[in-house]
Amino acid sequence: MRGWERGRALPRGDPGYGVERREARLAWWMVSPAVAAIALVALFPLAWTVWESFHQHDLRMPWLGRPFIGLDNYVEAAGDPRFWAAMGHTLFFAVVSVSVELILGTFLALAMNRAFRGRALMRASILVPWAMPTVVSGLLWKFMFDGDAGIANAALVKAGVFDQPVVWFIHTGLAWVPVILADVWKTTPFVALLLLAGLQNIDASLYEAARIDGASAWRQFRFVTLPLLRPAMMVALIFRTLDAFRVFDLIYVMTGGGPGTSTEPIALYTFNSLLQYLRFGYGSALSVIVFAVTFALALLYIRFLGAGLTETRT
Amino acid sequence: MTTRLASARAGLLLFLCSSCRPAPGDGPATVVFPSSTLGAEGAVLKQQLARFARERPDIRVVQRSTPDAADQRHQLYVQWLNAHAGEPDILQLDAIWTPEFAAAEWILPLDRFRPATDSFFPSTITADTWKGRLFAMPWFVDVGMLYWRTDLMPAAPVTLHELERTAAALKSEGKVRYGFVYQGARYEGLVTVFAEFLGAHGGSILDGGRVTVASPAGVAALTAMRDEIYRQGVVPPVVLTWHEEEARFAFQNGDAAFMRNWPYAYALMNDSATSRVAGHYAVAPMPAAAGGRPTAALGGAQLAINANSAHPDAAWAVIEYLTRPEQMLERARVVGQFPTRRTLYDDPRLEQELEVPVDEARAVVERAVPRPVTPLYSELSEILQVQLHRVLTRQAEPGPALGLAATAMQKLLDRAGLGAGAGVASR
Repeated sequence: MRGWERGRALPRGDPGYGVERREARLAWWMVSPAVAAIALVALFPLAWTVWESFHQHDLRMPWLGRPFIGLDNYVEAAGDPRFWAAMGHTLFFAVVSVSVELILGTFLALAMNRAFRGRALMRASILVPWAMPTVVSGLLWKFMFDGDAGIANAALVKAGVFDQPVVWFIHTGLAWVPVILADVWKTTPFVALLLLAGLQNIDASLYEAARIDGASAWRQFRFVTLPLLRPAMMVALIFRTLDAFRVFDLIYVMTGGGPGTSTEPIALYTFNSLLQYLRFGYGSALSVIVFAVTFALALLYIRFLGAGLTETRT
Repeated sequence: MTTRLASARAGLLLFLCSSCRPAPGDGPATVVFPSSTLGAEGAVLKQQLARFARERPDIRVVQRSTPDAADQRHQLYVQWLNAHAGEPDILQLDAIWTPEFAAAEWILPLDRFRPATDSFFPSTITADTWKGRLFAMPWFVDVGMLYWRTDLMPAAPVTLHELERTAAALKSEGKVRYGFVYQGARYEGLVTVFAEFLGAHGGSILDGGRVTVASPAGVAALTAMRDEIYRQGVVPPVVLTWHEEEARFAFQNGDAAFMRNWPYAYALMNDSATSRVAGHYAVAPMPAAAGGRPTAALGGAQLAINANSAHPDAAWAVIEYLTRPEQMLERARVVGQFPTRRTLYDDPRLEQELEVPVDEARAVVERAVPRPVTPLYSELSEILQVQLHRVLTRQAEPGPALGLAATAMQKLLDRAGLGAGAGVASR
């Protein structure tokens, strides 16, 4: 790896110094269209949103104008119970759905990693839920858990779990069940495939050595598979947590954030503030908060897990 | 999501078309009128505009389809009007939007056209008036009505108590699966139902710039709604996920003894091919409780003119034409919409055109009260929706929840300079 690739320049006396300078300049020229594109589609809207968040700007109250109010929108968010509730719902959803997906995904990956007839077909077909648009799968699960005619109620009543049909979407706790099931159903295959790739990177000779040492299947899993699967698990974890934190479409179609606002995640509250209530200033402040949290999460992952990740990979 | 896409597409369409529109000046004045182009409603409007074109060849009306879902239409309008777009020229507004658009100066006051308003229902005129000036013409009226089964009871209940008793009896006899159904999902529909329960108990949401919803009458109304679900069991909890159509399906399947819904359901349920209750229902005003009066939430459509329109006179000519008695009668016949002109209810022609018996219709419309006439209506309603739904899903008690709603609503009014103390403060 050359010095400049690491961001460290070679000393002036180094024979490669002049070449490197030229190469670096050329590199900048070559990435400049990409940098410009990123600035245009990512940085500019972001900066605009931050600027907007310092204003009171309610589209439905044009007579108030668009005064600069500094951090007032952030102060309002800090004192807004619906905002904190939404953050709590998001955290709950992320923790529960991602844990379940990781556990189920591991089982699926282990199963798929075994040699059996039709394995290729199995691997392809497991991706079907992942390929389905979230809105479609959300509606599907919503119909299944419909209060009156849903198949879930019919099955549970028949199995004797309930005496009578339950209206899932009007209970603060039960409303999460279909939502999390739908998310798990949809994204477990994705996690499983990532983990499968990780499994296939594990050297078979390690298992052989473990067997010779007399390790049981559980001990093999615990001390060989799990540690070596860690990098793949981390990748899956990063993707899934960031996704779960920004969950929107699934809950939008399934519960709309209800009953009341008891399943409303932060992305949905932001959407409502911006596009439903047309409070551009406050909605922008919420967007900035969501952005900051996701960004911090990503940095955290990269800092604490990224290092180990590249080490074990190379 | 698809509707959102549709609205985006409609916006794009507007953008594209506005750039290819011929320059004004010579030829007929063009007015753009976004409206529902679907089904019978779209067809009847098309016919009426075709006749208008023969009467006024100097005006060309361009129809443009917009999302039918009210929330999405509202969002689209607000975005257009905020950008001071000159198009569309004519706006079809929901009853609750007129003050909002008027206060924002997005629509023109109509007094310069000297509209004759004597023959309209006063409540429809009130709903379209802001600061003493008329900003929109009532086009057709929607009212909340109680649908009741004529094969299960001899007469409609007059009091809420009677409704609950009848519903409970019919349910326990096994004649119906549900007693009473309505629209209880967390959306505007829930607020209209609540407004009717509130009026029935003698309460109100707003009094000028003061929020009055957390009054004893408000608490009593909301408690009654909750108890009907969990104590008397006459309203199934599943209504808390229902909109208009789910309620209609339940009623037309013969599952419910009573339903609260808008007039549109009447004609649809009279088709014996799809409805099990065809010919076995009638409508009445929603019943009252002690201390209140029968109340119907007023809805419907109004026509207004974009303040930035290049052809306000031409736009007015279209509105004047569409709100004539003959056109209203035609809409009543084709789509079953109630006319906004009170005088038409004495006209023998309406008896023939309207599927709902005219006396029943008039009885309900006369009890119609506008929801609070304020530019902040939709924001206030959104606050209320959340708290109502929390109470009805047993996350909160009526008193504290309405208190929370009232505090938030009052804060909003004060922030917008429309609260009770605003006038004093500015002096």
